[in-house]
Parts: sequence; C-alpha cells; structure tokens
Amino acid sequence: MNCQEAMIYISGRIDGELTTEQEKMLDEHLQTCPRCRKELDELLKLKEVTSNMRFTDLPDKYWAGYWHAIYDRLERGLGWILLSIGAIILAALGTWEIFRHFFLDPVQPILLKLAIGSGLLGLIILIISVLRERLFARKHERYEEVER
Amino acid sequence: MGSKMESPDNELVMACRNGNLRNFQILVERYKKPVYYFALGMIGNADDALDISQEAFINAYKSLSRFDDSRQFKSWLFAIAANLCKNALRAAAVRRKYLGSDGVIDIGAVNAADPEKCLITKEKKEAVWKALSEIDEEAREIIILKHFQDMSYKEIAEVLDIPAGSVMSRLHYARLKLKNALGEDCR
Repeated sequence: MNCQEAMIYISGRIDGELTTEQEKMLDEHLQTCPRCRKELDELLKLKEVTSNMRFTDLPDKYWAGYWHAIYDRLERGLGWILLSIGAIILAALGTWEIFRHFFLDPVQPILLKLAIGSGLLGLIILIISVLRERLFARKHERYEEVER
Repeated sequence: MGSKMESPDNELVMACRNGNLRNFQILVERYKKPVYYFALGMIGNADDALDISQEAFINAYKSLSRFDDSRQFKSWLFAIAANLCKNALRAAAVRRKYLGSDGVIDIGAVNAADPEKCLITKEKKEAVWKALSEIDEEAREIIILKHFQDMSYKEIAEVLDIPAGSVMSRLHYARLKLKNALGEDCR
C-alpha cells in the first residue's frame, strides 16, 4: 500500500467504515510511515472538534409552527392550481364567445376582425411562450433533485 | 397518530401516497431538525435554511409518487434539500461569505473548571466553521453529511447519487481541502 491509498483508508478508519482486511493493510503501512501517522492524528483531532460542534438551535416557536408553515404552503399550492384551472376554463369560454359574437358576425368590418384577431393570437403566443419557459426552468432546475 | 410515530419511513411514505397527510406530518416531525441543520451548514443563514428545509418537504410531498421504494426516504429527502441549497447558492450569484459563528454555530458556554481548554476549543470551532465556509460547496456538503449528520457511507452515496465505493475518497479530498483551509488551526 502506498501513501496515497493509505490517506484514503485513513478517512475510512476514522469513520469506522474499513473492512478487517483494509484495517490490517492500513496498520501495516502506518507502522512504517510517520507521515501517514501524522495525517491520522490530525484528522482525528479535526473529527473531535467537529463532533463537539453544534449548530445554534432555532427558538421553539419556529419548531412549533414548522408543520403548519408546510401545510399552509401545500394548501396554497392546491389553491393556485384550482384557480389556474378556473381561469383557463373562463378564458377558453370567453374566447369562444368572442369568436361567436364578433368574428362570426358579418356586420363587423374585416379589417377590425383582422386587427383584433392578430392581437389575440399574439397574446396567446406570448402566454404559451412564457408558460413553456417557466415549465422548462422548473423541470431543469427546481425539481431536478427529485429525479435522483 | 401515536402508534405510527415509530413506523418505518417507507411505510409512512406508502400511507402518504394514499392521501394521508397525517403520516407526512410524522415524517416532517422526524426530519425537520436534521434537514434544517444541513441547510444551515450549507447556506449559513437561519432564515434561508428554514425556508429551504420546508421547501424540501413540500417538494418531497409533491413527488412522493415518483419515490423509489428501494431507497431510503431520508437519503432522498436530503438529496432534495442538497439540490435546493445548491440552487439557492447559485441563485444568489455569489459564493457564500463567512458569516461568523454568531447565529450559526453554538460555541457553547465556558467551563469554569477548565476555561483555558474551553477557550481553545471555541477558537477551533470558529476556525473550522470559517474554513468550512471557504471550501467549495461539494466538499462542504459531504463533510456536513458525515461530520454533522453522522451519515454512513451508504447513506451519503444515496444522497449524492454516487457509487458507495467513491464516498471514502471523496471524503478524503474534502477533508484535505478543509485541512488546507484551516492551515495551522488544524494542528
């Protein structure tokens, strides 16, 4: 075993993750290598310091309200989904009514129909584009972790 | 809910899939502190860590149908939290700066029996936290998982989605970075 391998095994030893065979190989190396013994000592000291380190706890009121905050956010999410479905249905119905009463009305001038039709089509393209961009960003960043 | 408090994680996940939110509450109560402390170690800010930890649970709940039962729920949850932390650090567009130990690390009270030793330990804790905040986020992540969450190599491999055999060497290189950042404070 060379020093580079021994250094990696040292990490395994301080974490208690070496097999009996690996422990034996490391012991043999440590008996002849003062540099690796020094490395082991330093890492043991480092582990001792970190094992005594604690993150500052939050005040109890945060822990008491923790679940409610999650529940509220989940509930709000459901609210947004229902609102969006309602808005989409209303928009579709509205568009159909406009089409029926305005675009199919022979009294309305063609030029006006073209202008309003073009504006509405542009608005629909913009909305679809923004939605697609949002969905792409959400899929590739925000929820990437969920696939792992 | 009482009898279910001791149920294994994956059993609770199965019940959650059937729409039982109470079971998810048990999982939240079980892991809220570890996930929060993990986020705090990664981000270094209590408000953001609280927000990210809650978001991790929300994302987990929304994705329960995609949870692979052969995995541990804890590892999966930490993987979600880890990615949220990384996204938050990237969104901030700046690497985290050293925020000091105030509000992040509990330095602890001075022991009247041995104040000198306590003072040295305090200084070391501060030095370690400062060094941790200076190393790259991947090294910090694996050190927090091992040193502060006390996860096994198997659990770490699941969280980081890497082969179990790579964890030992990854930890070694992360510790080297931490040691270098610590400099003389390590000795």
